[in-house]
Amino acid sequence: MISPNEPGRLPSADDWSGGIDLGRVWAGIAAEVWRRRPGWTERMAARLLRSPGLARALVTTPSLLLPWVIATVVVFGVGALVSLGPGQPLVWLVAPAVAAVGIAFAYGPGIDPAWELSSSCAVPDRLVLLTRAVAVFAVNAVLGLLASVASGAVAALTFGWLLPMTAICALALAVAVAARSAIVGAGAGVAAWAIAVLAGQAAGGQLTASVTNAHADLPYLAVAGCCAAIVVYAIRPQRGLQ
Amino acid sequence: MNVTLTDIHRSFGKNKAVDGVSLQLGTGVFGLLGPNGAGKTSMLRMLATVLPPSSGEIALFGRDPRGTAARREIRRRLGYLPQSLGYYPSFTVVEFVEYFALLKEMPSAAVPKAVAAAVERVDLGAKAKAKLRTLSGGMLRRVGIAQAIVNDPGLLLLDEPTAGLDPEQRVHFRSLMRSLGESGTVIVSTHLVEDVGAACSEVALMSGGKIVFRGTAQDLTARGEGHGVGDAPLERGYSAVLAEARS
Repeated sequence: MISPNEPGRLPSADDWSGGIDLGRVWAGIAAEVWRRRPGWTERMAARLLRSPGLARALVTTPSLLLPWVIATVVVFGVGALVSLGPGQPLVWLVAPAVAAVGIAFAYGPGIDPAWELSSSCAVPDRLVLLTRAVAVFAVNAVLGLLASVASGAVAALTFGWLLPMTAICALALAVAVAARSAIVGAGAGVAAWAIAVLAGQAAGGQLTASVTNAHADLPYLAVAGCCAAIVVYAIRPQRGLQ
Repeated sequence: MNVTLTDIHRSFGKNKAVDGVSLQLGTGVFGLLGPNGAGKTSMLRMLATVLPPSSGEIALFGRDPRGTAARREIRRRLGYLPQSLGYYPSFTVVEFVEYFALLKEMPSAAVPKAVAAAVERVDLGAKAKAKLRTLSGGMLRRVGIAQAIVNDPGLLLLDEPTAGLDPEQRVHFRSLMRSLGESGTVIVSTHLVEDVGAACSEVALMSGGKIVFRGTAQDLTARGEGHGVGDAPLERGYSAVLAEARS
């Protein structure tokens, strides 16, 4: 009797048919063939954010076309409004909130087709949203930098709005990841922005005058009302799903 | 027990979607039957930790999903296929399944093999690199099933999983459900009573937000003896229980 493992004997297919799980073998091959190699941005983000899921959310944000277009329009629109009202600290303080609401709406349940699935996953949806905000501002800031060569207005928008907001969102995300809480991260971002704006105004001696300007109250209230309405809409219970 | 529900209520305005459901489930395939608006989808959404209950207690794997850390731990072991699967048209099949594997916090090293196995289990190997926008409705449903099973979930929630599948795929999928039910809890909401008869070890029938029947498929069939409505024995049982609940 010759054993299959006997020296000098070549194995035949019959020797192994009962011992190999072909499904597992094929899955291993398929995994190698289908494997998507992450780019350096995604690898670096995964290391910094300590989450491959957040890193994938970051790099795929621009590919979700409709949310991306809406978020970009909101970000540029708010940036344009901000540049129309320089010297008004309350405009500067409210502007990031409007942009954040716009991004939340664009990547929220009403627009993001897979929001329901994402919100059932382990990576918290608020952290994913912060990540998306970083992606929206960062990519638009890069586009703004490129366009700044041709236009002074775009340069002002990029350096006065997109780049600072990219930094603030990145700070908020970093704090959120470190504290394991998106709320803490968002709080840190808001605090940093408020300090930066108010310090700038105080240095120019305009802080008291701009806060006590009665003519500005109505527009600010209108903006706050719009933000509240959008938030209520974005977090409404989904109808027709019960 | 993987699932323990205690007097769960969920309302949308004045509409009571789920009205006092209590349930305990271990391993196996559990079928959730009921007419439109019976509360099946709301039940699954609460179990998926997407929708909080208005009142009552939910425990999944012995943990309360209201706690942030517990919810995160539960979600790592959860698979969920919503009734209407939203997808990203520009993603390929593999990219979509992989994206959700990563959001479920699977270990990175295990993801490629798990994705390949899940895609193969739903028989989509030939379409692995195809963009989702190019797939048929039945294929998209199978992509949804693949992302739900990619993390080998201990609790798998499937809302109308066989909608849009052809007969051959439905037979294949029932066998997949039975195999997943051997190691975990599979809850499948469906209108198709033949799916329940073929794959489910236990069945519940919901009407008006309440569970009006719980037992095996054979028990449900027995309830239909002598009842005229329905083409198949199980359908007659379904109709008989519903008629009794509504009267």
